[in-house]
Amino acid sequence: MSQNNGQNRRFTEEGVREEIQRQPHIFTKLAENALTVAESLRDNYFKNTAKFVANLRQAVNQYETGKRPEPILEVKSVGDIEWSEVQGEVVTFIDGGLGQVQISSQIPILLRVGSYCVKTGERNISEREQFGYYPVILGDIEGGSKERKDFPDIVRITAELLGGLSALERTPNLGLLMFHGPLVYLMNAYAGHTPFTEKDIDLFLSHYAQDGDLAQRVKDEFLEEAKIEIYPKIAPERADEWTDRKLFEPLSWISFLYRRLVKEAQKRDPVPIIVGVVERGQLREFSEKILLERVFKGLRKNNKENYFNEIYGRTDLKSPKALLDRLAYTDGLLLSMLLSPGQCSEPWHINKYGGLGKGKITLPGESFVSDADWGCLRPSSPISFPKVLGCYVNVSETTEPVRVEVFSELGSKQLEEAARRTYLYARLLPGYGFPVGLDIVDKYAHIPNWMTDAYSKIIRYQLGVSLQRGEINDAEMRRILVQAIYMTKRDWLFRPQA
Amino acid sequence: MVASEQRQQPKQNQEEASIINRYVGTLVGESTSREFRLAVAHEEIREQDIIGVDAELRQPGNQSSTEKIRIWAKVQRIERLNPLFPSEAGHELAATRTNPFDTVLSLSREMVTAVCQVLGVEPLDGSGGGKLDQLRYPPQPASSAYRPDSSDIARVVVGELQERKNRALDVAWLANRREVDVNVDGHAIVSRHLAILAMTGAGKSWASRRVIEELAAKNYPIVIFDPHGDYTGLADLPELNGRVDRYYARLPIFEQSPETVITIIESLGWKLANTHISKFDDLFKSAFRFISGQDSGKSRRNLEWLSEYLGHSQLLEYRAEPNLYFFADFVQAVVKAARERAERQSEEAKRQRSARGKSKSVENQDGDDHLDQQEDALDKIIELSGYEDLQSIDKKTAGNLEGLPNNLRVAAKRIRQMEDISKRISKATSPLPNERSKLVQYGKISIVALSGYTSDFQATIYSLIASDIFSDRVQNNLKLPVLLVLEEAHNFIPGRANTNAEQNSIATTKQIAQEGRKFGVGLLLISQRPSRLDETTLAMCNSFVIMRMVNPADQNFVRKVIESLGEDEAKLLPDLDKGEAILSGQLINFPVLVKMKPPKSQGEREEKDAFVALEEAYRDNISTSDSRK
Repeated sequence: MSQNNGQNRRFTEEGVREEIQRQPHIFTKLAENALTVAESLRDNYFKNTAKFVANLRQAVNQYETGKRPEPILEVKSVGDIEWSEVQGEVVTFIDGGLGQVQISSQIPILLRVGSYCVKTGERNISEREQFGYYPVILGDIEGGSKERKDFPDIVRITAELLGGLSALERTPNLGLLMFHGPLVYLMNAYAGHTPFTEKDIDLFLSHYAQDGDLAQRVKDEFLEEAKIEIYPKIAPERADEWTDRKLFEPLSWISFLYRRLVKEAQKRDPVPIIVGVVERGQLREFSEKILLERVFKGLRKNNKENYFNEIYGRTDLKSPKALLDRLAYTDGLLLSMLLSPGQCSEPWHINKYGGLGKGKITLPGESFVSDADWGCLRPSSPISFPKVLGCYVNVSETTEPVRVEVFSELGSKQLEEAARRTYLYARLLPGYGFPVGLDIVDKYAHIPNWMTDAYSKIIRYQLGVSLQRGEINDAEMRRILVQAIYMTKRDWLFRPQA
Repeated sequence: MVASEQRQQPKQNQEEASIINRYVGTLVGESTSREFRLAVAHEEIREQDIIGVDAELRQPGNQSSTEKIRIWAKVQRIERLNPLFPSEAGHELAATRTNPFDTVLSLSREMVTAVCQVLGVEPLDGSGGGKLDQLRYPPQPASSAYRPDSSDIARVVVGELQERKNRALDVAWLANRREVDVNVDGHAIVSRHLAILAMTGAGKSWASRRVIEELAAKNYPIVIFDPHGDYTGLADLPELNGRVDRYYARLPIFEQSPETVITIIESLGWKLANTHISKFDDLFKSAFRFISGQDSGKSRRNLEWLSEYLGHSQLLEYRAEPNLYFFADFVQAVVKAARERAERQSEEAKRQRSARGKSKSVENQDGDDHLDQQEDALDKIIELSGYEDLQSIDKKTAGNLEGLPNNLRVAAKRIRQMEDISKRISKATSPLPNERSKLVQYGKISIVALSGYTSDFQATIYSLIASDIFSDRVQNNLKLPVLLVLEEAHNFIPGRANTNAEQNSIATTKQIAQEGRKFGVGLLLISQRPSRLDETTLAMCNSFVIMRMVNPADQNFVRKVIESLGEDEAKLLPDLDKGEAILSGQLINFPVLVKMKPPKSQGEREEKDAFVALEEAYRDNISTSDSRK
């Protein structure tokens, strides 16, 4: 009886408010939102959110109990998995870390991708675990637009992807490959970077390819595909030149690596699960396209279009986008109030490639921009990025749900199995709510301060020597460099003038 | 020159290869001239291991001249960390009873770091003779540390002692390298005192017997105060045949000062009243004169008179010894005699008063004659003892002294009981010699058995003997140096004295601890409760053998008092095995963890399996009963 009472209370506004007060991560987030939303929405923000969530919970429950024909949100349980079910499974975790240097430009100079491969149940330590790391000094890369803030990201994405591909190729019995972060990033943001040179690719592949032949084969395969299919579509005017100069346009190269990863996985039986797990994501696509879309559709059906406007005292909350814009809800926030620990949301195809289209690009050694069109890399073409399927998994009451992403081409069961394992691995860190293997590889890939400090000292030394030798003649440039080297501290050079 | 270089090349290569084989770790982080950290491989090293780091140091101001040195260090503690194993995950594993091997947790990436204390530095070629100098410049990070050869370790552990082999006592092995003998400096032990501190069962008697046997092999005179019969087995050693004398502690009461005897009586009987104490000196001295003297026949006659006077026919038979029983009888006689005199004087006064009013009668004259003829017993006692001061004991004083004999007999009875037990336990047949210096003889061990006595009496006996020996040495009446071994030292020199006996004992020991070195009197203190020892006395000991110790109060006390004991070494104390010890102080070059070598002798109280002993006793009982039938 009391259990029923407890269950029923979940569906009331008071019950939701009590829950929010017990869960600091939700409470804090709502408090932050309350300060940022419009003043008219600020009053009763908690109360109205609780009311909205209670209504959503009721709708979810009505569908589950057959009282509602169409779902608002389909929820699955993934919490029934035990370690005994996954004994003997080989799992590799991949993560990349950046090292920041304390010079005035704040440009990261070091990147390290770590991998942690473990076989559950194996008692022999030397056979149970293998760690790998792949360091990249960003200064060694010729390509990429170093002036862009996302330059380290494009290098890291490439390096992580190569790390994953390498793990898959060298582990024939790999059962699961788990990336820290999105399986595929929102690629439109990275369009327009200056292509990598062959030297850059050699630098990447020197760490990942098991042998020189493989590295050469990977390069050749890409350049062949680029020549025949990709570059003529991206830059029809200058495709030949791109091919002749053996340029590796970053998005084309990354999409090639993704396709290779998927193809390699498809060759295996059973097909290994390839998954990316995202913590503290700001995505709201699931809420906008799935959850609220259904809510608004239902409201329209029942002639309650003004439901939200009435709750919040507004007139402009007429679409999912408007609602999310005004109230600053995200997928993580809404689903943390809707999913119980051990539950995951229904899958949806994540739009990773929206906006991929025409843009500008600068080739290495050129000071001008030329046209490019990345539209051909959108899914449904042989040279495109793979489609990504995702869902949210709630691990514990004290953390936000994590987003799990898989390639939809690798089969329908991938997502559920990935979600189950994500939950299982994350249960070992209930306070963090994130798979413990990714936490391990995160620590392993972390670049220690002493290393970045040492590199920054070398850079400062080399710049200092150049200045002393008079190799930098331009007076303004000398001033800037002196500033770059010393500005992190209040140095005597910059003491206030009398 | 070139040929010589070529010959040296293979030798150098061999040395490098040898160092690689013996490699234990690499210096990491910040190093100082006192401490550094070592990244080590799994299980390559143990706490208290001694390691070496080779280095080159330039002479300040002389760039071309370099000195090749070996830095000696000791592993103080080892830190083991798996940075990739979150403690939160550990709690989850525990809550769900999950084996970490069944999960995706990482168990392989452990960091093992050894924190090493620099012991000193010597020339790399070992030409320093084992003497270690202070390191004045930190070792270079990324240097390799290695496990030195046993012979090299033995050399530095022994230090300068190898050139003075006559002082070396072979008492232990290095705990982590049993092939390395650890010799200690016997001179430091006998001249600057040694303390052996350990909890019960940790092996302190074992360690002390080993030290004593080694000193005995060098003919050093030793006097052992043995409260439990731990050292009786020394007499059974063939090499000590005829060199061990065992004494039971019969205290010649009349050789003590009156103050000492008062202390003994009060510690065994009741506290004396002020009137008893005020007359004690006169009574004690007169009793001594009464029974002693050149002429034994005179003593006998005196006792016969006393026996007749008191009407104790058995006095001659059982108490004809200068002990407290005799003293009690003597005091009783004095009291009786004083009372009688007072009565007589009272009668005389009465008669004189009545005579003033009447004429003298013949009968009365006869009566007067009778009184004059009666002997005054007090005068007799004074005559026999030759001690005039007893004349001052009047009727009132006699009344006050009436209870004293009983008190003396209580104490006498306790002493007699303790003597009987002491004789039985120590298996000793000789009482303590009156002349204490006889206890100290070249090549001999004198064991003073204190078993059976109360701790106060033990302390009294000890302080009397130790004080006499020390005085004899100070006055040069005793020519030989001596080591005094004090087992259960906390009973003799407690931190806080509760009785006069303890006060005396502490004062004597403190004096020896402070001045013994000048006069050749050394102390070997053994205790299982160091925290109850007098702090000053313990601090005067310059050498220590510290064994397993679990009591936190004892550990803290030891850490506080013993300057040479490091923090990390002190933390080892509760985890030491039986027979393992930390040697610290002047007896050794630097503090080391050792395994004490077993002594050759057996202790009286070597533990026997209780159930085996029971079965043996039962069988003996049956066979005795059968034989009676």
